[in-house]
Amino acid sequence: MAPLVSLYFQVHQPYRLRDLRITDIGRGDPDYFDHEKNRAVFRKVAEKCYLPTNQLLLELLTNYPDFSIAYSLSGIFLDQCEEFGLDVLDSFRALAATGKVEFLAETSSHSLSYLKSLEEFCEQVQEHVERIGQLFGKTPHIFRNTELIYCNELAEVARLLGFRGILAEGADHLLRGRSPNRPYVPPAFSLPEEWKRTIAEHRPHRAVSKRMHVLLKNYRLSDDIAFRFSDKSWVCFPLNAETFSDWIASCEGHSVNLFLDYETFGEHQWADTGIFDFLRALPKLWQEHGVRAVTPSQVIDLWNGPDDTFDAHTFLSWADTERDLSAWQGNRIQQAALDTLYSLERAVKEQGDTQLLKAWRRLQTSDHFYYMCTKWWNDGDVHKYFSPYDSPYEAYRRFSHALCDLRTRLRSPRATDGQARLRQSDA
Amino acid sequence: MALHTLMFGWEYPPLHSGGLGVACQGLVRGLVQAGVHITLVLPQAGVEGEENVEVLSPELCSILRVRSHLRPYETPERYAARLQGSPASATEELYGWDLGDAVESFASLSVELTKHTNPDVIHCHDWMTFEAGIRASRHHHVPIVMHIHATEFDRTDFHPNEWIAQHERNGLLLADKVIAVSNYTKRLLVAHYGIPEHKIAVVHNAHDPCLCSHTQIVSQRGVRRPPIVLFLGRLTIQKNPWQFLEVAHRVHQLRPDVQFVMAGDGPMLSELIERAIELGLHDCVVFTGKIQHDEVHALYRLASCFVMPSLSEPFGLVALEAIAHGTPVVLSKQSGASEVLTHCFKVDFWDTEKMSDCILTILRDPPLAEQLRSEAPRILKRLTWQTQATRVHALYESLL
Repeated sequence: MAPLVSLYFQVHQPYRLRDLRITDIGRGDPDYFDHEKNRAVFRKVAEKCYLPTNQLLLELLTNYPDFSIAYSLSGIFLDQCEEFGLDVLDSFRALAATGKVEFLAETSSHSLSYLKSLEEFCEQVQEHVERIGQLFGKTPHIFRNTELIYCNELAEVARLLGFRGILAEGADHLLRGRSPNRPYVPPAFSLPEEWKRTIAEHRPHRAVSKRMHVLLKNYRLSDDIAFRFSDKSWVCFPLNAETFSDWIASCEGHSVNLFLDYETFGEHQWADTGIFDFLRALPKLWQEHGVRAVTPSQVIDLWNGPDDTFDAHTFLSWADTERDLSAWQGNRIQQAALDTLYSLERAVKEQGDTQLLKAWRRLQTSDHFYYMCTKWWNDGDVHKYFSPYDSPYEAYRRFSHALCDLRTRLRSPRATDGQARLRQSDA
Repeated sequence: MALHTLMFGWEYPPLHSGGLGVACQGLVRGLVQAGVHITLVLPQAGVEGEENVEVLSPELCSILRVRSHLRPYETPERYAARLQGSPASATEELYGWDLGDAVESFASLSVELTKHTNPDVIHCHDWMTFEAGIRASRHHHVPIVMHIHATEFDRTDFHPNEWIAQHERNGLLLADKVIAVSNYTKRLLVAHYGIPEHKIAVVHNAHDPCLCSHTQIVSQRGVRRPPIVLFLGRLTIQKNPWQFLEVAHRVHQLRPDVQFVMAGDGPMLSELIERAIELGLHDCVVFTGKIQHDEVHALYRLASCFVMPSLSEPFGLVALEAIAHGTPVVLSKQSGASEVLTHCFKVDFWDTEKMSDCILTILRDPPLAEQLRSEAPRILKRLTWQTQATRVHALYESLL
């Protein structure tokens, strides 16, 4: 029997920092972000990806009854929609109105907060769930953490927040020969009482979820589209929709989970690669093969197999070949920046200034730390690196200035370790 | 049979004033390790013996001591005269027509001295040796490689002495292959000299670990000294020391505790001292004048940040030396070193504000400084004279 397909798209754009200078610090809330650049990038991606892809998917959702999709729209992306692209927001609303689109929950700032502060993490998830409800009239029941960062503990936290499913990377070393094409369950264990209290305070759902399922990304088939589609050196190039549908139909298991960055369509893979024609052809072919495209919630609804445990003791993500956290906290400047940022949490929140809180949260976006990554730097292979800045050090310089300024805006700056480190030099 | 290179150098340690000599020595050592037999012709006497290299110092000392007047920017007045550019008379005044004579006699004596050496390839370094190289190439009927460490455009802020630039151009057009020390220099040779791109190979300079092997471990316990920001280079327009003072001025406004050290000698020294006083930096800028190797090492190690603000730097070996000593580096984008160094800040040479901002960030954030100190030197493991000499060796082979 043909498996189900679950198509999920991550939609996100960071707020890039402007070329801040040390002399800007303490001048009274300067703007940290490069609005011109952010607008330009957003509009470019809107024209190349969001608008045409949304239009195409609207047609497909309307025409094919067995075709559904899921999105996770980061809060930072939604902010930019409101700032630079109400047309984009409207096109997502039109998709939501088909009733065949599931919206997933994530941290509103597309942040790494789970690694640093449970309270901040829960607040952001709560905020995001509420916002999706307001904008699209839907309540997310499935959670996906930033960049698919995942571990056992997080699955339990998500369950206590009321979610019934969570997404993760189908990493080979954890699957150990098992198929990613079926839901798994996390190992059962108990969190500290203090954690439970924090989670309960911010739970966006009425009750905790009784069951929790982990849906795993089929990274081979996902990456065939996301990375290899236009790779001329790939043995399967050019990939056509027929071949890809055959691969899906011949897959064993319950559901093939294709998790993709939305920018794959039109931005990472340009229109002239044929990516839109490829996408357009899929629902019809899947229908012929008896493959139904369903939402992550439906994948769980339709599952009645035996439980099997997906055991992630350490953190997992969908980034790079390492699939760990090294892309965001692999070096000293990343760690220093993260530590300092989160050391300000209490002081920022006590101040009760919404503008300050907003600025602090925008600095939490994972991209800021990704841009400081130096993993491949020693190999001289700068091409693998994607950043709006000249170098990881430029990314750090701008970020560090923003943090220093943020600290000057605090009424009662608390000297924590991280703060002290950035506050003054060794002088 | 080992490949035999007849090489014409200009300066060579310990008699050197810049990167050319250091680079030449590094390359020679690397080539010898790669099994190349080298006959090296140098204009000065008293060169220390190099193992496995035949060093020929022709009886040119008297003439070549005169030749030391060739060095550009001998005095600021002469430099100013050049900037105003009155080609014909300036040439005569600056270099005198004996420059042509000097080059001519170096060329003929060198060729005479090496006429029985039987080389496979000729390799010469910078324009002053081109004439000797070309004649040797004709005499032995072998290909000639010209290695460019600096051009007249770099030395003069793009106000070249036409006689020299023409000499460079004529030589380069006759070369079978040109080696540029960076892509930056390659682009310059294409744009300003009209040398066909395919004729130019880029071989970046490398670092010789022997130059800073005697690392001393000095306890820093209890030591409190002001942070030092270091400039090291000839005080000439090319190295942009004026800019360093402007940067120092900005840094000083926010961090009055910082000391600035300008190490090196040169024709701009007196005007720089005046400028430092003018900017109110007299208490925090130290001019060391010409300094010895040991002092250089000590300065690198003491410095919290090394700045190379050069206007136009074909390579910039000092940047490699700084990172070899674990000093965080801020360097001009208009340099060859910026093509190979990754763990550093790169700023346009004219961007005073950003340059000072990068320095202040390094001084403020210890995690940043620590990371630059520990990560930057990794490149030196790959960028050795052995590996670069292999490239040059392969280039020789391609010509035979």
